[in-house]
Amino acid sequence: MAEMWISMGPQHPMTHGLWTLKVKIDGETVVDTEPDLGYIHRGVEKICEARDFTQITTYCDRLCYASANTWSHSWIYAAEDLLEVEVPERAEYIRLIAVELQRIASHLMWLGAYCPDIGSLTGMVWCLREREMMMDLMQELGGSRMHYNFPRVGGVKRDLPIGFALRCRAKLKLFLDRIQEYEAILDESTIFLIRTQGVGYAKAEDMINHGVTGPNVRAAGHDYDVRWAHPYSVYDELDWEPSVERPSIKGSDCYDRYRVRVEEMQQSALMILQALDKIPGGSETYHEPGDPAILAKAPARAAEGQTGFHHFEDSRGESMFYIVGGGEERGKHPYRVSIRSPMFITIPYASKCMIGYKIADIPAIMGSFDPCIGETDR
Amino acid sequence: MGKEVSSKQALTAAEDIVADIGDFGDSVSAEVRFHTGGRRKNAYVFIELEPTKWRPVAEWLCDSKGVDHCSMITGIHWPDKPEAEWQVVVHLMRTGVFDPGFAVKVENDDLGSKNPRIKNQHVSETKVDVGSLSGNRIPIELEISMKLPSTREPKVPSVADIWIGADWNEKETWDLVGIDFEGHVGMRRVLLPHDSPTGYHPLQKQHKLRYHDFNEMYDDPQGFTRKPDDIGRVK
Repeated sequence: MAEMWISMGPQHPMTHGLWTLKVKIDGETVVDTEPDLGYIHRGVEKICEARDFTQITTYCDRLCYASANTWSHSWIYAAEDLLEVEVPERAEYIRLIAVELQRIASHLMWLGAYCPDIGSLTGMVWCLREREMMMDLMQELGGSRMHYNFPRVGGVKRDLPIGFALRCRAKLKLFLDRIQEYEAILDESTIFLIRTQGVGYAKAEDMINHGVTGPNVRAAGHDYDVRWAHPYSVYDELDWEPSVERPSIKGSDCYDRYRVRVEEMQQSALMILQALDKIPGGSETYHEPGDPAILAKAPARAAEGQTGFHHFEDSRGESMFYIVGGGEERGKHPYRVSIRSPMFITIPYASKCMIGYKIADIPAIMGSFDPCIGETDR
Repeated sequence: MGKEVSSKQALTAAEDIVADIGDFGDSVSAEVRFHTGGRRKNAYVFIELEPTKWRPVAEWLCDSKGVDHCSMITGIHWPDKPEAEWQVVVHLMRTGVFDPGFAVKVENDDLGSKNPRIKNQHVSETKVDVGSLSGNRIPIELEISMKLPSTREPKVPSVADIWIGADWNEKETWDLVGIDFEGHVGMRRVLLPHDSPTGYHPLQKQHKLRYHDFNEMYDDPQGFTRKPDDIGRVK
């Protein structure tokens, strides 16, 4: 049969955002693919050059609507590396709680979007129900539902609200119970297993060489997580192990990538419960002199050519901000900001992953890598 | 308490790379640097080199030092510095723990289901014992900087065949900053529209943001009084 190119997207349920996957097919079989990105490129890196170090947090929230907190924290750690700011320990614990809550919410959003991809609408409704609990908790911290603007250079916006630990524990315990319901509805659904098992094989060595990180490589048996490999925050004070799947000899399939995220949600919930127990008392949640003082020191600290960067474990892999200071001339504004988006690198790999499978497998394979186009296009 | 690569392990790994890189001569200089923010001042390797040495150093890092992951490639435009107008910065990482023979096998015998892959019924899991990592197994961060003198066609060698992850990073760097990569196959626009004008790379510094004069931005956040200033500005 003659081969032909078809265009999936930019409006297609498979894409989870605005982008196009050009697929070359031979009958029902995928022969070649080519992703086409950039539909929502907003020029965040350029905009950041005209904002000061504290204003950029707001833009980083908006890099990814499903995982706003992790992106703003990623920026904050890089900015603190450049500006040499110390953070109180209590603030680090609060940040950890905020980031892990966001990781759960992000994975729930992923699972909620993945279930309808492969024909289970019930899964979506259930996941969004639990995501609502996480968003309520983060709303208590940041004040808004989607874009929290919560971390600050040198600390966090505000201390935990009164009774937060109580509500957080109650909701997480409920969540840990309900996660078993997902396992029951999905792991024992023949349709789910048929659609996810044995499709979209990806090997860990391949993925690392292609730049894929995060849950996708942990699903392939590669125990690598920035949180322990390049420790930051207070992760080293908690008792935890990254969730790693044991793949088959061909690599990890879509089912492995589903399993690793479900386990990671449990892991994150347990980490938050530990952090709530261990969080030091007091009210010191912010670098005392405040934003104006930090910005006043910025021209000297962020001297021309001085750089700061920080690898961060985002919900989708390793994210990074690389900041270059501009010295006196640029004052409190960075000279250049560069963003490493995990999905920008993963989407080309995931597109190659589906070669050899059927067209009907494309949503299952693409969805299992958790694409988010906000951060991809920046 | 928890699982972590200790500062000492990271420092040893960084010093190891810096010590061995001397074989490449004077045009390659390396040093151990430390992060300055946060609770942990982790060590990382900073390498500054001539673009002509980039290919051999990249191959050496990948083959001999186990640097298996290209995290980011980006470019910076310094129009005020004619001797180093263009800078290419590469961030590499060594994830370094993928070796089934090295990893510790944890047996988990909770069997008894029709589906052997369901939670609590995994036959075994692969976990890494971090404390025993040494040599090329220790995760490490590297930052590589290359400077190019003033030119209208900045170019550095491509490493997309060593780390395939560099492919799209290089595409993005060319698209946004305008630095080309020799040997890169299939260079094209990725984030900008495909029909963008030739030679238009928005992160070059001659392209100003519309209200780039940032001091004004605070005096007049709404921008009402600045409309006439737009005339003749690059948008």
